Amino acid sequence: MVEIMEMMPLMLEGMKTTLWVFFLTALFSIPLGMVACTLRLSRNRALQTLMQAYILVVRGTPLLLQLIFIYFGLPLVGVRLDREVAVVIAFVVNYAAYYTEIFRGGVLSISLGQYEAAKVLGLSKFQTFFGIVLPQVVKRVLPPVGNELITLVKDTSLVYVLGLGDVLRAAKTLSNKQASLVPLFVAGLLYLLLIAAVTFFLKKTENRYDYYR
Amino acid sequence: MKKKFVFTIALVLGAMVLAGCGKKETASDTWADLEARGTVIVGLDDTFVPMGFKDENGQMTGFDVELAVEALGRMGLEPVFQPIDWNLKETELSSKNIDLIWNGYTITEERREKVNFTTPYLDNQQSIVVLAGSDIMDKAALEGRAVATQNSSSALAAIEAEGAMEAFKDGNVVLFDTYNDAFMDLEAGRVDAVVADEILARYYIATRGEAQYRVLEEDFGDEEYGVGVRKGDETLLEKLNEALDAMKADGSAAAISEKWFGENIVK
Repeated sequence: MVEIMEMMPLMLEGMKTTLWVFFLTALFSIPLGMVACTLRLSRNRALQTLMQAYILVVRGTPLLLQLIFIYFGLPLVGVRLDREVAVVIAFVVNYAAYYTEIFRGGVLSISLGQYEAAKVLGLSKFQTFFGIVLPQVVKRVLPPVGNELITLVKDTSLVYVLGLGDVLRAAKTLSNKQASLVPLFVAGLLYLLLIAAVTFFLKKTENRYDYYR
Repeated sequence: MKKKFVFTIALVLGAMVLAGCGKKETASDTWADLEARGTVIVGLDDTFVPMGFKDENGQMTGFDVELAVEALGRMGLEPVFQPIDWNLKETELSSKNIDLIWNGYTITEERREKVNFTTPYLDNQQSIVVLAGSDIMDKAALEGRAVATQNSSSALAAIEAEGAMEAFKDGNVVLFDTYNDAFMDLEAGRVDAVVADEILARYYIATRGEAQYRVLEEDFGDEEYGVGVRKGDETLLEKLNEALDAMKADGSAAAISEKWFGENIVK
């Protein structure tokens, strides 16, 4: 127990990194996913192709490689980013691609009949989308969005490759120092706690949108 | 129309890549910049105990860290310790994210092509560690056995240089991200031996209990630690060598060594 208390300052220091990577990514990737989804569903073929290419590249390469390319590769073409900025850009661009597809799935899941019914009732396109389609999409995409958020918590550990100290790196350092597995176990518990909190928040949100049951 | 669009994008991207590759690394001396800034960014793997690591309170500490603070302080500069991924250390240095690699950095011929080294400040050897009850007594007995070490380490380079891995189990070395993982695998009995820097092995064995391990008489060769300096940074290299020499001469390097290793092993 004393051992565990001793390791907490460094662990919490690492937790800070894990948390800001998580929150900033969640904050920016979801809106970016919405924008990208709108472009992906637009009638413009060029935009569609562009978005498909973006999704293919981002989903088709490991996030770890994307981090390395953005931080070490971009300076070759004159773009120098700080470690933190590179991390946020890589994570946001990566996660937005997955959100794009989740949102697209949500929009496509609304049956055509509803659009026809809205038209018959004389609703404008704007009213149809924001009044009829979007509220249903939000409800339907919540579970897959939650999945991504939980994956994101664990993916934050990839920041070690740019030298940022997250919980897992702190645990590895302590594990080396004490020559024991206990710090890694504690790191596991911290992740579990964090994800339990995210899960709780997701459940609350789902309940809030469950007004027709 | 669409084809043209895609073609243009491909052209622009291609040009960017070529421009990037074509640009020669200008071997410039950044001493003036460092002096103006007043700081030197020291890159280190902050999981490498006891050379440079974060203690429980998140403070950077260790033998190399104290040595760097003292040496750079004498040059009128303040070190900023930047943790890096050890696999990318030379990339970090050449892209100027860090100015020095100072973390039990072994001098090897291969690395000399990419970085300049200061004069060596510490002797090291690549020890072979086995469990106390193991039947492995010498190097020859490693034949057909599973041997582990750290990825991108000088231990791996030493094994490769001797061409020893052919004889190991599956003709390969088991590679881990940290030595700690390698030692844990040794304890679990899945690998039969770990080849590691003597400095690190000594720390690990002392922490884990002397009785559990045995270090073979034979090793994978002697080597030396030096500080890695970017090619072209001649002034920094020269001043750093002067500072290190002065520290060896006046006993301050010995004092730091005694604090961390219990004896003076600085050369």
